Amino acid sequence: MSRRLLLLLLLLLGVFALPGAAQDHIDYERPVDTAPQPDDIGEDYQLPEVQTPLPRAQWRAILDVGLLAAALGLGAWIVLKRRSRAGSIALTVACLAYFGFYREGCICAIGAIQNVAVMLANPDHPASYIVVVVFFLPLIAALFFGRVYCGGVCPLGAIQELVVLKPVQVPRRLDRALGSLKWIYLALAIYYAVLPAVDRDFIICRYDPFVGFFRMTGFAHMLWIGAGLLVLGLFVGRAYCRYLCPYGVLLSLASRLSWRGVSITPERELDCGLCVDACPYGAIEELRAVRHNCLFCARCYPSCPNQKVLEASRGGEEAPQ
Amino acid sequence: MSEKKSRREALGLAARGVALVGLGGAAIHLFRRPAGESAWQLDPNKCVNSQLGVVGVEACDVCAVECVLPLSAVRAINESAICGRCYICPAYFDVKSAVDEEGLPSEKLCPRDAIERYPIGWVDPDDPANNYYEYVIDEERCNGCGLCVMACKEPAGLSSIQLEVRHDLCVDCNRCTISGVCPEDALDRILPEDFPLSVHGTRRES
Repeated sequence: MSRRLLLLLLLLLGVFALPGAAQDHIDYERPVDTAPQPDDIGEDYQLPEVQTPLPRAQWRAILDVGLLAAALGLGAWIVLKRRSRAGSIALTVACLAYFGFYREGCICAIGAIQNVAVMLANPDHPASYIVVVVFFLPLIAALFFGRVYCGGVCPLGAIQELVVLKPVQVPRRLDRALGSLKWIYLALAIYYAVLPAVDRDFIICRYDPFVGFFRMTGFAHMLWIGAGLLVLGLFVGRAYCRYLCPYGVLLSLASRLSWRGVSITPERELDCGLCVDACPYGAIEELRAVRHNCLFCARCYPSCPNQKVLEASRGGEEAPQ
Repeated sequence: MSEKKSRREALGLAARGVALVGLGGAAIHLFRRPAGESAWQLDPNKCVNSQLGVVGVEACDVCAVECVLPLSAVRAINESAICGRCYICPAYFDVKSAVDEEGLPSEKLCPRDAIERYPIGWVDPDDPANNYYEYVIDEERCNGCGLCVMACKEPAGLSSIQLEVRHDLCVDCNRCTISGVCPEDALDRILPEDFPLSVHGTRRES
């Protein structure tokens, strides 16, 4: 018994002997069980303003829609009227910078498929106007001009467009077979969107291969898939757009009915076939551009001898002589 | 030839018109619905870090780690009206660290040094322990790791700190990656008017 007491005494001694512990005893009279209010604190103290969750900026959504519409119009003008590859590249870079890296790839028309499906399937679901506009605007543009959205406005397309280095022509049959994958993807996307809320899964956003690059962070496996697609994209032009993009299905359907579309020097096509080799996306069949496959990159124009003659004559007119 | 062409053009025009009416109609149908910009928000009564009664466990840092943004859109806020303004704030100081010459813990709790501390009101220089101290969280530095939230919880503190999704920073993913991992399902997509109450039952004005 006494031994235990001695031990306890020693232990207590040890505690007090700890350097600094005894001298730094704080005489804390103010019991903190309620928050002191301005009157307790005195000296005209005012409660500081605590930052509250700011709402999302409305002007930003309006700016996004405005820029999307402007980019679609500009793209149609550059590719259909000016037939300028350089202009197309400039638009691609600008849209990749804004919709991709600045807005971090969100909101995009591809992912909006599932949001629109959710809204259409659930009449009580509140509408997000920006989603509706971003989804329908490129489709309506496609009814008039073709897949102008794909031609650099879409950030997912733009990032692939810029890495096309040495494209190979994918055999027609393989191209068709792989192209059917995007229909399956679209069907799955709609299926997972119309499921009841607890089972709903936004697979398009979850398996977006490029959003990780736009945000400079992301799941490792998606970054690897994205990197793989970009490396593949050096040789197989825009594989995601041609074989996987579910929005591409809708755009190709709409562009089948389009009012205008890419045609290489209309009225005076040469039938020389040089443009066929220039198209990295296999969108020129039987020497004519196929509207529902054409991705508005404008690569065919510089390859066309007739177009070069037209350019030269136009340049001659403009230059003062 | 020209007759055939004109017929094809007429058919194309009709098809285009039908498609345009269909797409436009669907868009207008959705536009007539009331708008609801729901947003991800965190329920402090569910969050492990702020939920009352859960003490003596490690703080949960899922919000800091899982957000798709490089710096999470979830940040800690200190509700000033509830803060005890303690001399030794358990959320500011690492109370387990060694005591320095002033009698204060020598280390701070926040790994990113996001909390500022300064005396307020009438300051008695001879009795610093019984003065009031303001604790302000620097939102630019905070990454929502929840350490301070857990430390401020009753009974050690007054639970004045909670985590919140900043909607101006949140990119509003269709499926919030944090919500998929959150152990307490504390994140939900809700309309602004339904934002959850704090652990004190108060509503933050937005």
